[in-house]
Amino acid sequence: MIMKRLAAVITVRRGIAVQSFGYARHLPMGDPAVIAHTLDRWGADEIFLNCIDRQQHGPDFALLDRIGKLGLATPLIYAGGIRSQADGVQVVKLGADRVAVDAMLRDSPQEIHALSESLGAQGIIAALPVSLRGGRLLWRDYRRRTDEPLGETLLETLAAGRISEALLIDWQNEGTSGGFDTGIIDAFPVSTMPIIAFGGAGEPALMQRLLSHPAVAAVAVGNSLSWREHAVQALKAGLSGLPVRRASFAGSEVRA
Amino acid sequence: MTRRTIGIVDYGAGNLASVQHAFHMLGHRCRISGDPQVLDDCDLLLLPGVGAFPLAMENLVASGLDRYVADAARNDRPLLGICLGMQLLVDSSSEYRLTAGLGLIPGTVEPIAGARWHIGWNRLETVTNDAMFAASDRESFYFNHSYALDVPAAYQAALARSGHPLVAAIRRDNVVGLQFHAEKSQAAGRALLAAIVDGLCR
Repeated sequence: MIMKRLAAVITVRRGIAVQSFGYARHLPMGDPAVIAHTLDRWGADEIFLNCIDRQQHGPDFALLDRIGKLGLATPLIYAGGIRSQADGVQVVKLGADRVAVDAMLRDSPQEIHALSESLGAQGIIAALPVSLRGGRLLWRDYRRRTDEPLGETLLETLAAGRISEALLIDWQNEGTSGGFDTGIIDAFPVSTMPIIAFGGAGEPALMQRLLSHPAVAAVAVGNSLSWREHAVQALKAGLSGLPVRRASFAGSEVRA
Repeated sequence: MTRRTIGIVDYGAGNLASVQHAFHMLGHRCRISGDPQVLDDCDLLLLPGVGAFPLAMENLVASGLDRYVADAARNDRPLLGICLGMQLLVDSSSEYRLTAGLGLIPGTVEPIAGARWHIGWNRLETVTNDAMFAASDRESFYFNHSYALDVPAAYQAALARSGHPLVAAIRRDNVVGLQFHAEKSQAAGRALLAAIVDGLCR
């Protein structure tokens, strides 16, 4: 059976990997490529490169080129500044296996169809910063700093089969330890779409609860991976009774 | 180990660096090229692929590499297709529209039964005595696809189960296909790639 995944998030701002707290405060950590290399060796199920300040600049092709040339043995998801089919295709050519789109869902849903024809639906993730207020799921618009219900256009786009997974970002709890609001999962209305939960989901007991939910295919974790060595193995060791791949360490590199 | 030259067929389909790196880690040389003269000098041809079938096939045909790859396989040269590159090996695909494939292994590409996608790590279940797959039985590999192969059992080498069984690896003599991304499957992937090169390049 397909296993539940632990995606390791590298949040990038101004080209530097940062620890992020609610997307409001950021602590610099260093070169994203160095961190990607480390996570690759630690046996993460996926690496999620999340460039959070690319709205005006498009994807960070230079960074992707550097990371692509590392030849990671771990699947790479890229998010940040993807505006068009051409952007998405170029991101994959430079090394990503999948792309996550956010602003494109608002600005040009028709481009999603074109992108899907190039990458396949399996290559596209909808990144949805959301919060739960009074039982209602609200979709955050970072550019306008407003929140609104998930509209019909978005729901139609998600249900159309051109996007494979929804990255539900609890943006208010992003950067906390164990703050992810599990009510977000139950409130998400597209029941056929697998969910990646992100934003304060790094505490082991919460991760266990999230991954036990049938709709959750993966949990994405950022900051807490920076607090200790071999954090991926440690987190996975804390999960019990779940179909999770055993984390391997790349010290066992195969040479023929 | 004999050092081999892997010819990564460049027809504009996705990221080739990870495939190249995986083979370098195994000690092999790589040539990334769409030039038949360069590919002629390689021990094994690798057909990569990310994305949708029609566009990939369109690119192969436009470059003339469809004929080159098919002729090479029919002349007993080792050929490995990965993910979409595996799907291109069969007769046709219904992804978006009916599109002819390379026709090197009988079969078709159809939507995954009972699910829209098969994304993530899954265990391989070998269904052959083929030595190149033996050590990979029960190992986990990274899958990312929404269409799957329907091929006769005689060509199936391994399955993955996600509700229904999915064809995960195929082989017809000198032609091998992997539905999953072995190059993105860490140590298990590299071990399998090593076994395939060893098994095909004799």
